[in-house]
Amino acid sequence: MPFEQLLIEGLAMGACYGLFGLAVIIIYKTSEVVNFAAGTMAMFSVYIAFHFITFYGFPFWVAFIASLIFAGLLGVFVEFFFLRPAKNPTLLGLIVITIGVQLLLAGLAGWKWGADQQAFSIPFSYQVTYKLLPGFVVSQWAVAVFIIAFIVVTILALFFKFTKIGTAMRATQQNKYAAKIMGIKTDRITAFSWAFSSVIGVTAAMLITARTILDPEFMMEPFLRAFAAAVLGGLMSIPGVLIGGGIVGLIENFFGYLSPAWKPITAFVIIVLVLCIRPSGLFAKHYVKKV
Amino acid sequence: MDVKKLLTVLLIPLIALFFLVDQGYAKRNPGFDDKEIRVGQWGPQTGPAAPWGAVARGSKLLFDLVNEEGGIHGRQVRYFIRDDQYNPSQTMAGVRELVDRYGVFAFVGGVGTACGLAVQNYLRQNEIIWIGVCSGARAFENNPWLWQMWPAYFDEGAILTKHAVENMGFTKIAYLYQNDDWGADAMEGVKAVLKANNLELLAAVPVEPIERDLSSQIARIQATGAEAVVGIMAPTQAAIALRTAVSVGFRPQWLHSYNLCDFALMSHITDGLWASEGVMTAAFTPPIDSDTPLMNKYREAAARLAPEERWGIFYLAGVCVGEPLVWALEDVGRDLSKQAVVDALNSITERQGVGPIITWTKESHHPPRQLQVWQCGPNGETIVVQDWIENDLERP
Repeated sequence: MPFEQLLIEGLAMGACYGLFGLAVIIIYKTSEVVNFAAGTMAMFSVYIAFHFITFYGFPFWVAFIASLIFAGLLGVFVEFFFLRPAKNPTLLGLIVITIGVQLLLAGLAGWKWGADQQAFSIPFSYQVTYKLLPGFVVSQWAVAVFIIAFIVVTILALFFKFTKIGTAMRATQQNKYAAKIMGIKTDRITAFSWAFSSVIGVTAAMLITARTILDPEFMMEPFLRAFAAAVLGGLMSIPGVLIGGGIVGLIENFFGYLSPAWKPITAFVIIVLVLCIRPSGLFAKHYVKKV
Repeated sequence: MDVKKLLTVLLIPLIALFFLVDQGYAKRNPGFDDKEIRVGQWGPQTGPAAPWGAVARGSKLLFDLVNEEGGIHGRQVRYFIRDDQYNPSQTMAGVRELVDRYGVFAFVGGVGTACGLAVQNYLRQNEIIWIGVCSGARAFENNPWLWQMWPAYFDEGAILTKHAVENMGFTKIAYLYQNDDWGADAMEGVKAVLKANNLELLAAVPVEPIERDLSSQIARIQATGAEAVVGIMAPTQAAIALRTAVSVGFRPQWLHSYNLCDFALMSHITDGLWASEGVMTAAFTPPIDSDTPLMNKYREAAARLAPEERWGIFYLAGVCVGEPLVWALEDVGRDLSKQAVVDALNSITERQGVGPIITWTKESHHPPRQLQVWQCGPNGETIVVQDWIENDLERP
């Protein structure tokens, strides 16, 4: 078994899942809504960067920044026009709305850019490889994934712990009404969390598509993996989600090596097992049932 | 009369009516009149497999050209395309509409094994002529109303492996395949050639069509020390497999399915790796840039009649699947009938348009067993590394 290769590849893809899992939990931390449109929103934003590069000839970094701005606005737009107008929404109702948004955006992307597969490159190439030890090859792309994931998770952890907005987001999640009484504009906080989530989502999606393919469905499978990572790590724990992503990536890679036919169900098995054995995830401190 | 008896009495004419209706418009409508012949095809014009939708539009080019030249014995071809989004339930809906509402005379092409299987029994029961289903799956054999053009996947797997072993001298072969009938059929061909050469398949590793991370599959193949990998999978997974392999420094000779011989597309979605790695594929048409009178004629027609279309291999495949129907209709003459066209199709012997060489008889509607092997050149050009070769091995 090529242990080193499976380790490095598993961790790299796992970091992508973890990073994308962060996009899922940021919204969850604020509103307890699982955003099933997260993958499609990220896909749509990557297409914006693709459009800037391919049709307007902009350099990658300009397209990347445009894509981040678009992703932020898209998050606000979705929250403001789709979720906020819902009258007396239940959590389930809001989740169903996100599924509707997912279908809508997937249809729009297919209409605008077609279903053809496209290549999307980032400055960190998977074709440039470094041989650290015999049998231990790491690509520039994988190095970039590790660094970006580390930076993002550090910023997020500091953001939630030390900034006023971060504290307000946590307060909104814990008790929306109490937060309102304390003067927090919870609607704005929720909209901000959608924007924030969308920006992190597109960052992760760009890393994923650089190693795979860009098409309107490219985030469907990574979203499920990221969701598994979030459930495993604990839907409230930022470092936990990144570690969960790494564990999902490793399990999937090692299990996939031993039994490729069963690899696609690995993520679902993880979700089911975690929900049965430890519903709050590995890294959440305790499971709190709101009353 | 009580309600129960009344319903029972009414049920009898209702059932009778149902069976009469189910006999169908198709039985009554011959699919042609003095002015037109109605022909249909389904194909994914939208959805995940949309790039393969060019097949249906390629057939349109052929029929538009035929109509422009005056039709066939005074009749124009009226051609219908139904977008099924690669979804078998939508294939059925589209086909039923074309049969029941328009009474099409024949279908040509039709992308996808699952989509074709969804309508195979319906078309067979209605005795509709169907030429060139875009699948080499075994499940389409022995249908008396289907004339096959897409080479069997068994033959494809065999010819790719034969090229790798006998022409290139590789002895360490692995197989990466889509985990369905397509991959399973081709695997039999791969194994048959290896067995004939006293070799063992190093590894057969499955891929699911939805998978986007193939790291573990590539690691498994890499660990075997394979020199060549035969790949039977969709373009997305083939591109991801190649990217993943390169990212871990694994560079075997890749040999892929004829469904991936659109080198322009594959080079594009692999950042040029398809060309720089010299990937090989099977092929059942001559290269699209061949300089033959017939190919030039279609290419010029495409530029004139469908300038928005890319002259690609799937577009050309649409022309291929329409050609035998045109030949048969021309051979039949003005006195058109379904039986006459069936007889004409069964009489096609060693005939070639821009597709493979075809021979059909009353007893055998099997696809041709010849394929070429192409290599993607450094600039994305097509290099024919193996001219037409027939697989002479029989299925175990």
